[in-house]
Amino acid sequence: MPVNWRQYRAEGCYDELVTATGRARPGAGRLLATLARLSNDELRERRTAAEIAIRTMGITFTVYDGAANIDREWPFDIVPRLIRREEWDEIARGLKQRVRALNAFINDTYHSRRFLGEGLMPEDYILKSREYQRRCVGIDPPHGVWAHVCGSDLVRDADGTFYVLEDNLRVPSGVSYMLENRAVMKRVFPELFEDYGIHPVDDYPALLAATLRSLAPEVEQPRIAVLTPGIHNSAYFEHAYLAREMAADLVEGQDLTVGADERVYMKTIDGPARVDVIYRRIDDTFLDPKAFRPDSLLGVPGLIRAWQKGNVALANAPGCGVADDKAIYTFVPDMIRYYLGEEPILPNVPTYRCAEKESRDHVLDNLADLVVKPANESGGYGILIGPHSTRKERDECARAVRANPRNFVAQPMLKLSTAPTLVGGNAMEPRHLDLRPFVLSGERIEVTTGGLTRVALRKGSTVVNSSQGGGSKDTWVVEREGGALDGQDAP
Amino acid sequence: MSVLSRVAERTYWLGRYLERGDATGRLVTVNANLLMDLPVRVPLGWHPLIVITGSEALFEQLYGAGGDAASERNVCRFLTADARNPGAIVSSLAGARDNARNIRERVPSVTFEYINELHLFARSALPAATSRTRRGDALNGISRRVQQLEGFLSQNMLHDAHWELLRLGNHIERADMTTRIIDVRSANLFASHHDLAPFADIQWRSVLRSAYAMQSYNASVRGPVTAPRALEFLFKDERLPRSYLRCLRSVRRSLSALPRRRQPARLCNAAIEMIETTDVGRLGEPGKAAALHDFIDKCQLRLGQMHDAIVSAYFDYS
Repeated sequence: MPVNWRQYRAEGCYDELVTATGRARPGAGRLLATLARLSNDELRERRTAAEIAIRTMGITFTVYDGAANIDREWPFDIVPRLIRREEWDEIARGLKQRVRALNAFINDTYHSRRFLGEGLMPEDYILKSREYQRRCVGIDPPHGVWAHVCGSDLVRDADGTFYVLEDNLRVPSGVSYMLENRAVMKRVFPELFEDYGIHPVDDYPALLAATLRSLAPEVEQPRIAVLTPGIHNSAYFEHAYLAREMAADLVEGQDLTVGADERVYMKTIDGPARVDVIYRRIDDTFLDPKAFRPDSLLGVPGLIRAWQKGNVALANAPGCGVADDKAIYTFVPDMIRYYLGEEPILPNVPTYRCAEKESRDHVLDNLADLVVKPANESGGYGILIGPHSTRKERDECARAVRANPRNFVAQPMLKLSTAPTLVGGNAMEPRHLDLRPFVLSGERIEVTTGGLTRVALRKGSTVVNSSQGGGSKDTWVVEREGGALDGQDAP
Repeated sequence: MSVLSRVAERTYWLGRYLERGDATGRLVTVNANLLMDLPVRVPLGWHPLIVITGSEALFEQLYGAGGDAASERNVCRFLTADARNPGAIVSSLAGARDNARNIRERVPSVTFEYINELHLFARSALPAATSRTRRGDALNGISRRVQQLEGFLSQNMLHDAHWELLRLGNHIERADMTTRIIDVRSANLFASHHDLAPFADIQWRSVLRSAYAMQSYNASVRGPVTAPRALEFLFKDERLPRSYLRCLRSVRRSLSALPRRRQPARLCNAAIEMIETTDVGRLGEPGKAAALHDFIDKCQLRLGQMHDAIVSAYFDYS
């Protein structure tokens, strides 16, 4: 039986495509109508076409399974997620505002710390952050920008409001999947691309390259390298993808050396060649064994020194992870007011700082209702989802919070929005999702059109990480439809 | 823009592995054809392929040492689908895939799709290569795909230093494999005295066929297939894309487009001079099988030296 949208219900959640009464949201009418016109067999065919495209395009991600790395094909759902252009423009403004404030904060952190001086944040939040780097004090990166690529995770709550869930400022990944999702969608639903005014996303590599070039020391033709930990990294696919699209060199630590002149060179068949900008996709601590971990084999001895001297630009700058911390996140609205003198456009999710006694007591008393997150993890690791937790897990969490309260925050359990997702071959069921747009900052500031939509494929789950059963959808920022179906009942 | 050494190495190996995957299939095919053309009483077999590919120790370890071990089934599996053998076709193509994956930002973006497909095909089709009736389809399928891929790269890849490195790998491997294909025949003959004399010409036709050279031979040499002529043709005819000399000239041409080529180019020139001044036809005369085998060894040694010089000029200097 073809899809019947009248029977589709996302109980208690905001659905991105279908209203609570089973009607198409503005802009989604034509998409829903197209899907409803497909027979079960046709739907299955489209899904198979997507799987084949993903396999033949070699779109993979790597999961760590004990000692082995396993390449999996990228999990993808063929129903796109839509955002109306007007709504998107507002979100994009909010993201730019947020990242401007974050960069001002990081720069301040490594200079005069006015923000602390004004008493807006206890000093410990910075000095005890695992990502705070003493070596970065006093450094002036180009344009005063530290976080050149930021991936902020947005979620939409039951009332339809977008919230910022977290800001990923270290080495955020996912943008290549955003681009590949679109390429897959064009193969699978070419007819929809004729019907819809869908904003393209594929200018991202060019924007990234321009951002990186704007950081280069004064040279004629800056040479850009993408620094990857190597083929076994979970995001290697993306590193290679971006390097190729930017016509940059994809390098590993072993390819780079720092000369006696404190400049960075890569080993080429012509001999050593100077590198001006490094888009590094490895963590701070692995960048330079001289500066951080002496046991790191990934890094380049002397790299930090070359960066401090301004001989090479690093994106993101070392030390910018200080603002990636989920406890620091709670201060972003204050940063926006303080550094920009503006009111935040995008709200934070209300968050408890466990370092503050009153909040901590509340969190510990209500663990079963809250989501508790370590301040410095990524990839969804170490999170307690209260309502789905066992007694034992809550006890362990409480112990961890008491032992190091600064390292934990807690948030209410949000009702993440949903979108119809093809499950079991031909059923459309709501699945929870989030959105990760990417913000580029250099001389200028740019935001992707839309971003990467991640979807929790398991029923009722809100865990969207691909390493833990998440999938993804293409994200369409669309012009309002003029067509007759718009705002009407979905067929 | 100069090429990163690590990328150069990967590109070079991509060229080698693709060629090796294809040519190993030809080795199997030429041996199978040879055996079919020979009378049953001749005690020939599949073991020479193990010798020619230089994998006696590994083969023995995996399949045992007795005369029965080197059965058609075992040797075919070892050379095609057995992933434990780094020289098996499936391993070569996995190596090609792995190298392509590491340089996917440097080759046309669909290249990896094609290589991935090739690798998936190899994995699913090659187990059939132990069966006489299904072997042809599997090996031809690989050959066709490799050649489509090389054609695609030739037509779509920027002919810059990456391209030259890929060709460098291609041609060194191809030159090497051409000598090994010839060696299949010489090894067989070597092992079996002169019982086979009446069949010599038939066998050379098989060799030519497996180097895709039979038709070319007919068109250009215009005479019956004889050992001296076949050897002249396979070693030295510059019109034949897989001839040893032609491959060396291609290596020299690729090197001339690359920087820091002094040492590898010098070795390449010396190898060209050696082949030009050797009367390879004479090595095809009766009783010269051992001399032919020695000469082939010398050719392979020179290729090995060229490879080492390429490694230290481009990939592994300090």
